Amino acid sequence: MHLPIFTYQQPADFAGVVAALTEASEAKLLAGGTDLLVNMKHRIETPGTLVSLKKVAHMRDVSTEGDATVIGAATTLKDIRQNSELKRKFPALVQAAMAVGSYRHQAMGTLGGNLCQNTRCRFFNQSWQWRQARSLCFKVGGEDCHVVGKKHTCFSTYSGDVAPALLVLDAFLRITGPHGHREASLSGLYSGKGQSPLTLGRGEFVNAVVIPGEAAQGKSRYEKFSIRGSIDFPIVGAAVWQGAGKVRVAYTGVDRAPVRAAELEAELAGRELTDALLESAAPLAAKAAKIAPTSVHPVSFKRELMGVLFEKALRAIS
Amino acid sequence: MVRKNVLELSINGDSQEIACTPNTTLLEALRDKALLTGTKRGCDTGSCGACTVLLDGEAVLACLTLAVEAEGCDICTIEGLADKGKLSPVQEAFVEHGAIQCGFCSPGFIMTTTALLNEIASPGREEIRKNLAGNLCRCTGYVKVIEAVEAAVGKKAGGEK
Repeated sequence: MHLPIFTYQQPADFAGVVAALTEASEAKLLAGGTDLLVNMKHRIETPGTLVSLKKVAHMRDVSTEGDATVIGAATTLKDIRQNSELKRKFPALVQAAMAVGSYRHQAMGTLGGNLCQNTRCRFFNQSWQWRQARSLCFKVGGEDCHVVGKKHTCFSTYSGDVAPALLVLDAFLRITGPHGHREASLSGLYSGKGQSPLTLGRGEFVNAVVIPGEAAQGKSRYEKFSIRGSIDFPIVGAAVWQGAGKVRVAYTGVDRAPVRAAELEAELAGRELTDALLESAAPLAAKAAKIAPTSVHPVSFKRELMGVLFEKALRAIS
Repeated sequence: MVRKNVLELSINGDSQEIACTPNTTLLEALRDKALLTGTKRGCDTGSCGACTVLLDGEAVLACLTLAVEAEGCDICTIEGLADKGKLSPVQEAFVEHGAIQCGFCSPGFIMTTTALLNEIASPGREEIRKNLAGNLCRCTGYVKVIEAVEAAVGKKAGGEK
């Protein structure tokens, strides 16, 4: 499968990235390429310009600012995996990074790329030839959602492993764009709309992820269920953080964005985490998400998995 | 008209000039331009591992790497592992342990194993299985492959290069 034709730019700094993203009519960032280039080969994304992060300085730095940890968005998942400080302070983050794809995907794929990956669906992530068998779906410019049988809507599923881990660590983002730098919540990055999953404005890109020092005061874990033990995206992924009488729970693979399980968290707050409580609270997890059958698994199975993975993760750290 | 750029790629220690358009993958550059066909095109979408090469020592998927992004890096392919005709310990172990049947997946497995053993000197069996899980084989059933990797660990521990 040949890639479509595009213009390639290799800026050296943040200003160059913003300029390249802004000036081209349709430009996309190229980090590891493990999501974007596959989609381009399938002709479901065809940007006219690719803006490479390869030569942009300081995007692979891991540093501290006070008690906060700052991770450059171009830090590879392998860099994260090999960082003993990150492993000690934020186990869920390292576990999630190690759960992504294969050994090669982790060497190529980046933190920012994993967070900003496109949403997925069994009707969307297919080759051009495969998709000719039916009408174009709404996400690629048609009218129909083949998953729910409606028009002008998209229920494609956010399927990145790292996002729920960073959500329970209360991480936030540093974003650079035409109007300068800003900070934003991680949950705010996601629109909740399948057709255009990210809220980044034209010319904007995530340059770093910041994890507050408080996150290192608790224990965290990421649990993933996928069809195979490796390579695959999560069918459901669950991250938990426990500390200071609080429990934070987040999921991937269950909605158009990664989600925090607010009702479940409220049920557990300040209470002794007995087996009976976990068992009775687990069904609340499914209320956090609007699951669509974008994978081959039934919705009821994924709802149940949300509770199962939550219990498994929390028992592992309690 | 889309213009080609002339890239200077360092492949197995040799510098080669390759003219290609930006949408040329490293896999296409290696096989079609440099005529190094040891690196295989399997799924072409990163799921099978047959196209694994080393880029500055890291195992990467050549089908998902643009050739232009490999400029300035040391590219090592399966053709570059042997030293003056002497197979590397990993290559020897694969041959000796029957880990090669049709051979199509073997370059990918060997390159991934080479990178893995440079990162982790003595991986256990589960660590080997987990880190090789991105390489698919239709012939062997993987048992001999895992045994070969374990043997390669032993060879390297014994000082073989």
